[in-house]
Amino acid sequence: MDTSSQRHVVVIGAGIAGMEASAQLQGLGYAVTLLEEQPQTGGNLLTWDRLFPFKRPASEVLGELRSRLGGIHVLTSRRILNIEKLNAQFILTVNDGTVLTADAVLVATGFKPFDAYRKEEYGYGIYDNVFTSVDIERMFREERRILTRSGEVPRRVGFIHCVGSRDEKAGNRYCSKVCCVTAVKQASELKEMYPDCEVFCFYMDLRMFDRHYEQMYLDAQTRYGVTFVRGRLSEAAETIDKRIAIKVEDTLVGKPMKMTVDMLVLMVGMEGRTTQLYNSPTLGLSVGKDRFLNAVDEYTDNNLSRTEGVFLAGTCTGPKHIPEVLADAGAAALRIHRYLCQKA
Amino acid sequence: MVNFGFTINKSTRIDYDQASKDVSRYVIAHEPSALLCIGCGCCTATCSAGQFTPFNLRRIQLQVHRGELARLEQETEKCMLCGKCQMVCPRGVNTRHLVMTIHKAMTLYNRGELKDL
Amino acid sequence: MFRERFSYAPFVWPFVIGLIFFLCFFVAAIVRVFKELPQSDKIKFGKSLFTKQTLVSIKEIFMECLLHRRIFQRDPLLGFMHMSIAFGWFMIIVLGHIEVKLYCPNHLNLPYFPIFFRYFVKQTDSTLGGAIFFFLMDFFLLMVLIGIGIAIYKRINSRIVGMRRTTRLKIYDWLALYSLWSIFPLRLLAESFTSSISGGSFLTRGFGLLFDSFVSNSVHVVPTWWAYSTALGVFFIAMPFSRYMHILTEPFLILLRNAGIRTVRHGQGYALTETFACSRCGICLDPCQMVLPGRMDKKATVYFISNLRYNHMETAREMAEMCMQCGRCVAACPVGIDSCRLKLSVKTDNQMGQGDTYLQYLNPASDALPAEIQPVVRQMPEKPDVVYFAGCMSHLTPAIPRAMQTLFKAAGIRYRYLDENGSVCCGRPLMLAGQEEAARQLIAKNTELIVKSGAQTLVTSCPICYRVFTEEYKLPIRVVHHTVFIRDLIAAGKLSTEPVQERVTYHDPCDLGRGSGIYEAPREILKDMAVLQRAYEEKDQALCCGGSLGSNLMPYETRRKIAADAFNRLTFRNPDVLVTACPLCKKTFQDVADRPVLDIAQYVATHLRAQKADAAPVEETPYRAAV
Repeated sequence: MDTSSQRHVVVIGAGIAGMEASAQLQGLGYAVTLLEEQPQTGGNLLTWDRLFPFKRPASEVLGELRSRLGGIHVLTSRRILNIEKLNAQFILTVNDGTVLTADAVLVATGFKPFDAYRKEEYGYGIYDNVFTSVDIERMFREERRILTRSGEVPRRVGFIHCVGSRDEKAGNRYCSKVCCVTAVKQASELKEMYPDCEVFCFYMDLRMFDRHYEQMYLDAQTRYGVTFVRGRLSEAAETIDKRIAIKVEDTLVGKPMKMTVDMLVLMVGMEGRTTQLYNSPTLGLSVGKDRFLNAVDEYTDNNLSRTEGVFLAGTCTGPKHIPEVLADAGAAALRIHRYLCQKA
Repeated sequence: MVNFGFTINKSTRIDYDQASKDVSRYVIAHEPSALLCIGCGCCTATCSAGQFTPFNLRRIQLQVHRGELARLEQETEKCMLCGKCQMVCPRGVNTRHLVMTIHKAMTLYNRGELKDL
Repeated sequence: MFRERFSYAPFVWPFVIGLIFFLCFFVAAIVRVFKELPQSDKIKFGKSLFTKQTLVSIKEIFMECLLHRRIFQRDPLLGFMHMSIAFGWFMIIVLGHIEVKLYCPNHLNLPYFPIFFRYFVKQTDSTLGGAIFFFLMDFFLLMVLIGIGIAIYKRINSRIVGMRRTTRLKIYDWLALYSLWSIFPLRLLAESFTSSISGGSFLTRGFGLLFDSFVSNSVHVVPTWWAYSTALGVFFIAMPFSRYMHILTEPFLILLRNAGIRTVRHGQGYALTETFACSRCGICLDPCQMVLPGRMDKKATVYFISNLRYNHMETAREMAEMCMQCGRCVAACPVGIDSCRLKLSVKTDNQMGQGDTYLQYLNPASDALPAEIQPVVRQMPEKPDVVYFAGCMSHLTPAIPRAMQTLFKAAGIRYRYLDENGSVCCGRPLMLAGQEEAARQLIAKNTELIVKSGAQTLVTSCPICYRVFTEEYKLPIRVVHHTVFIRDLIAAGKLSTEPVQERVTYHDPCDLGRGSGIYEAPREILKDMAVLQRAYEEKDQALCCGGSLGSNLMPYETRRKIAADAFNRLTFRNPDVLVTACPLCKKTFQDVADRPVLDIAQYVATHLRAQKADAAPVEETPYRAAV
């Protein structure tokens, strides 16, 4: 390969989208630099234990994606301080003093989980036994056990769907897509771990949209014995023995219901990141009201930003699950390829 | 004798063809946020009046739209208008005014004064 | 020396007709207002006459109606404009009458005589006394003219007097406005043309000489007096239908208000006086958050009162239902109109039901309260010092009641948490929605529950509850909001806080600040703990968070806009945290915040200094930025 004329692409964010796009771009013959703010690559995948629908360990998927990064210039613990454009080239200044020159930039900054402190009525950070789905995933991964704050095996657990999603009050109108299936996964895993524990999922609508998800739902009902209650949590209180008293309406029965659980799990949704990068005039990113990035055309040019040479991939443009992110990253790499070919 | 609002001869299923849509139309015209409801039941779960009575805003507003109007005027008179439901509603429905509007519409309807808008 | 030239001229008629019309209207209006006052208010008014209170009222009338002190405080130029017109005109009338009394003591003093004095009486300005009179009359005429000049310019550019917006006028207002603008320039012209005959001072004489140099003054004397009289006549006839009715209504309103009379029902008695006392100056436009950022320009109080006055009841009702009842317009009103009360009186027209049907389950006969919320059957410490009522909304902000419990324990106070498992609403939301009948039911039930608890002090975390507890409940025990309670505990040494290296801004909740007058307690607490940064709009100018239960109609989107705007304005000095003292404000701001929004109880509980070893352990109540 002729390295002297080799075009250079900088990928911002080494999550699933960033890693996959980098690998694809390298395969197309470009020099790729992959920038990551965190000390290691992987993004939100690092916070997962097992992945739906088949409970495959996240570490396996991560390992596979990382193994494709050979030959890619990966820079972790790096933040971009400044981006300038000179002619058709982007000049990026990184916080270690490095200056990178790029013919195209791919923004793959991903999402951040909803901050559950913002739903004060659910008591996260106030009550001992309120957790988020991220906390539960970490417990599965690191402790291999789910225990209450006082170290006991829970006898009843409630999963609350749509925390920070589909919620005007939280400022997030959209559905985060993956929380429903994550709740079904975690609820099933919990039942697998503690068959005697009662597990409830409180949902507004169950959105089992992808190929194997309905099967997971079915298994949760029949194999694992998870109970699904259609009703949204309005508020939670802590009892004297540190359990959580929750108030929902069982809308299918048509009556308000009080229930005391040992653990309450909040299924936090995805939120767009509003990083400094989003304000860079050089990148000229268009941030939607929902804080996700807008592509030029949501139908035909999903990976194109409004600025020439700046591309988008992954969950920075909206909630996605892993197969969608991989497809999106591949598509973005091809769009970059087409752009650079036309320019040559 | 408690009046349950139906006689023994009538079917208990919703007869949508026969049901009056006037109240629903009135309510939507006077409190458009009624259209936002997805029936999550948050309002009913948090309801202050719901501690003492079977007051259920989610069901009442659905009944309005299905023309199931029996006893709705009395039902809405259980609300304390405390506003908790308004705070928890994920869709931002103006619930307090919704209750007041349903009550008003039902009063007019029961008096036979609810004409076309 | 003077000589009476005439005692009558035909041009007095426009003025006389206008004046008679106006006086008839005014007398009839006063009679009507009195008739409509409830008996108890009539007695109150009677008792207030010829007491010390009367002197206070007279002083207030002088300060407000003539000098416009409150407007001066808001904007000196705007104050000067109102003062120069009102006070200048008042002095011209007073001096005119003194002149008549001095120079024609035996004259049959018809009302028009002092007004057209210069035409009727040839006077001399060469004596000292005469010169002083002429000078004073010219001086006050100049004062009024300057005021009119500013008023005209204000119509073009209202920002000069510190107003972003000025009111839209009705046809009668325009008629009255134009005639008012022309009265004094015409008087100047008329007196100037007459000055060579009747005398004048620096202004009239000066203009007289100036005009003399290029027009024949004598030809213009009678027409200009005609014009002057006509302008006055038109003004008087338009006045009862225009906003200028406020000129004479306001003193009357002050007398009634200082006698302790308040609005009972719109369109009657005191409320009617308030509607007529509104000058539609538009000072309430800028404070109104429905106008900005709500973009509901026509919903401001000034237009509500105007609709009330012209009996557009449907529009007025809709405006009353939209208003958040934050009271910023009341705080800003130079006339002191309690428009929140006026709006409530309009809302109460729509009673959802009477006590026998509405909230039937609260009737003493039907004891529907579940055992868990009955205070008597619950296990509680013996002899509580205080009973704690968190309020409905505090159940959605559990950090507040939790912090309060931490503080009670730390201060060693025995307490009962009355509504731990929920309770009956305090009744203020119903009142704000105009459902007074039903609210009375709740008040009765809650009073029963509170009295049964046996405590001597009721502490509440919710300003909405606090306000109705103090205003409408007749509780035999002390009622205190937790801001004051905590302040007193700190002062008594029962709680001590550690210094925090943070910049803090305090937001005054409407019902706690403007509603209940509690401004200092929270500030005293915060000043001693952290760096207290003042908000630009604070205390009685404080912003509404947008979550108010006062509005029945306001859509969520508008509320959110108002909340976001208020939050930005509150945090413009970039404090680390925003502290407030109301669960509703806290919840509303949290939804739009980029930094922690904490209740004052939470702030104190988080930063308690470690207590003596025997005291109850303090629980950690962490908070975190919601970014």
